[in-house]
Amino acid sequence: MSILSIENLHANVGETEILRGINLKIEPGEVHAVMGPNGSGKSTLSYVLAGRDGYSVTGGSVEFKDKDLLELEADERANEGVFLAFQYPVEVPGVTGMTFLREAYNSRLRYEGKDEADAMEFLKLVRSKAKDLNMSDDMLKRPVNVGFSGGEKKRNEILQMAVLEPKLAILDETDSGLDIDALRLVADGVNALRTSERSMLIITHYQRLLDYIEPDHVHVLAHGQIQRSGGKELALELEANGYAEFDDKV
Amino acid sequence: MNSSVESIVPFNQFIDSAQGDHPHGNRGDWLSEIKEKGRIEFYKLGWPSPKFESWRYTNLNKLAKTQFFLPQDIELAELPYQDILPVDAPKIALVNGKFNRELSDLSTISEGILVNNFQEMSDEQRALFSLENPTTLPKEGLPVKALNDAILSDVLFIEIRPGWQSDVPLHIVSIGCGDHVGFSSKIFVSAGENCRLDIVESHAGEHGSTYFSSCVSNIDIKAGARLGHYKLQNDTNTSTHLALTQTSIEADAVYDNFVMSVGGILSRNEVRSFIAASGVDCCVNGAYLGTSNQHIDNTTFIEHAAEGSKSREVYKGVLADHAKGVFQGKIFVHPEAQKTDGYQMNRALLLSDKAEIDSKPELEIYADDVRCSHGATVGELEEEHLFYLKARGINAESARRLLVEAYIGEVIDEIQSQSIREALSKLASDLLKKKLFERSNER
Repeated sequence: MSILSIENLHANVGETEILRGINLKIEPGEVHAVMGPNGSGKSTLSYVLAGRDGYSVTGGSVEFKDKDLLELEADERANEGVFLAFQYPVEVPGVTGMTFLREAYNSRLRYEGKDEADAMEFLKLVRSKAKDLNMSDDMLKRPVNVGFSGGEKKRNEILQMAVLEPKLAILDETDSGLDIDALRLVADGVNALRTSERSMLIITHYQRLLDYIEPDHVHVLAHGQIQRSGGKELALELEANGYAEFDDKV
Repeated sequence: MNSSVESIVPFNQFIDSAQGDHPHGNRGDWLSEIKEKGRIEFYKLGWPSPKFESWRYTNLNKLAKTQFFLPQDIELAELPYQDILPVDAPKIALVNGKFNRELSDLSTISEGILVNNFQEMSDEQRALFSLENPTTLPKEGLPVKALNDAILSDVLFIEIRPGWQSDVPLHIVSIGCGDHVGFSSKIFVSAGENCRLDIVESHAGEHGSTYFSSCVSNIDIKAGARLGHYKLQNDTNTSTHLALTQTSIEADAVYDNFVMSVGGILSRNEVRSFIAASGVDCCVNGAYLGTSNQHIDNTTFIEHAAEGSKSREVYKGVLADHAKGVFQGKIFVHPEAQKTDGYQMNRALLLSDKAEIDSKPELEIYADDVRCSHGATVGELEEEHLFYLKARGINAESARRLLVEAYIGEVIDEIQSQSIREALSKLASDLLKKKLFERSNER
């Protein structure tokens, strides 16, 4: 059974059609990379999958673990196991990192009909995961992402992913704005979360991230469609030749 | 002038009826005199009208046309504990403005704090009373004071001895009860040199009561003292609350004021701080939460009359349904008040397109070497924030609640006293849940 099965997906932002028939299947444990030039629809794909308002699906279907993903609210999708690591993680004034994580974690437990987590146990769990990502206690006490550097924000995304343990992680341009050290730290965090069950969809413009997180499959997205699919060598080819050959195709 | 017209106003009939209500005890005549003077003054000044700059956004027409009655002696079984601030402190209970010994708990009050009601006041305290009316009070503020005097039934005098420092706050609990009763309370606080205390006020009502409550506080903070003054206005949702707090602050003293307005159909909290000397640290902060047709007015005036003092003011409000908020904040800097450091900010969050905020921040500066800034913002909950929380599994209602709580939490964090901060933050979270969120499940 596929984790994710996208068939002929069409979606609009406002009146403009951005996704024009996407087909993609992801099996458990697989890491897929979607690469493409700016404006190809990469971020739209991630938002449509996560269920953001303002993106209307005009055709096709998305199944997630045999459920109709498009029928679910954004919070239900998250509780089913879809996780979007944001390209621009949002600053949330006044809500501390710890409160945010606890609410998210307990939401999922409630969704599954379970009791909320013991506060002390949960604190211990978060602290140990934060330590792996080189994040201080102080960062968890501060409001979510407020005053964080670009690298800190991305690490915070990975921490949330580590705590929430999704079945499908969508990483939207996770490498953007990171220097090489921060990139390595984030990539190590992601790799530590690779299991034979957990699937990942890595959305990126540059091949650079894929040096650190090795994909099983690479797809090229342009003009709202997947133009080509291949193994990890396709990423290297794109790095050498750029996206020029896909720009002509409309 | 045209007293025949005035006496037709139902509220004025109430004021007249208050004159006949002679209190018992040896200070009865003294109180009657104050009431009579207040009544004459109020009729002379008339109702605050929108013609006054500071009454442009708050109209008392409806109040003037409502008939109120003098409170009867009512036996209140206990204080409405769920509606007042949960602080562990000695309590002074006022029921319909009158000191109530049975409901008060002064057994643990410390020896450095003296509490008298009008019958127990000393001649010195009465002399201080007659001085009430600082020059800082402009014409606009006078009717509220005169009205408060005209229906006065008791006075509370709190004296903190010089050098007396206590970590245990003092809690004044003012409860309104009855059907269309009107009353006033008047509180004097004299904070002696180098003393330290937190005073908490909770204003609430017996369930189902409708009342008019007028509150005037006069606070005198002597040099080197530190006074925390925290007020919760949580009156019943049909009641009216009209308050005026005047504080005079002397050298190197700290005044930490916070007003949380959540109750009443109409409320106005006017906070006026007079900084008389240098080295003062004056904080005037507040939060407001309005739903249904509530009208919540916060008017503040901070006057710097001496060199080298600091004032900080932050107000944040959440308005839903048809609620209307008013914020008027003025910092006035006298020519001699060089090196003044003043900051003022009002932020409002509108949760419905029918909610409204009128915000008027003002600076009036006559000194040339000062640092003063002010600002105001109005906004809605941001889609970006909501989506981020939902993308982590938090449902729409919980996400809204978290964000609103955080919004108000930021200003509650300004409160310097840790125990009060925690108590108010807990109460605010319960109130938000009750007023904004749980009601949607009842439909």
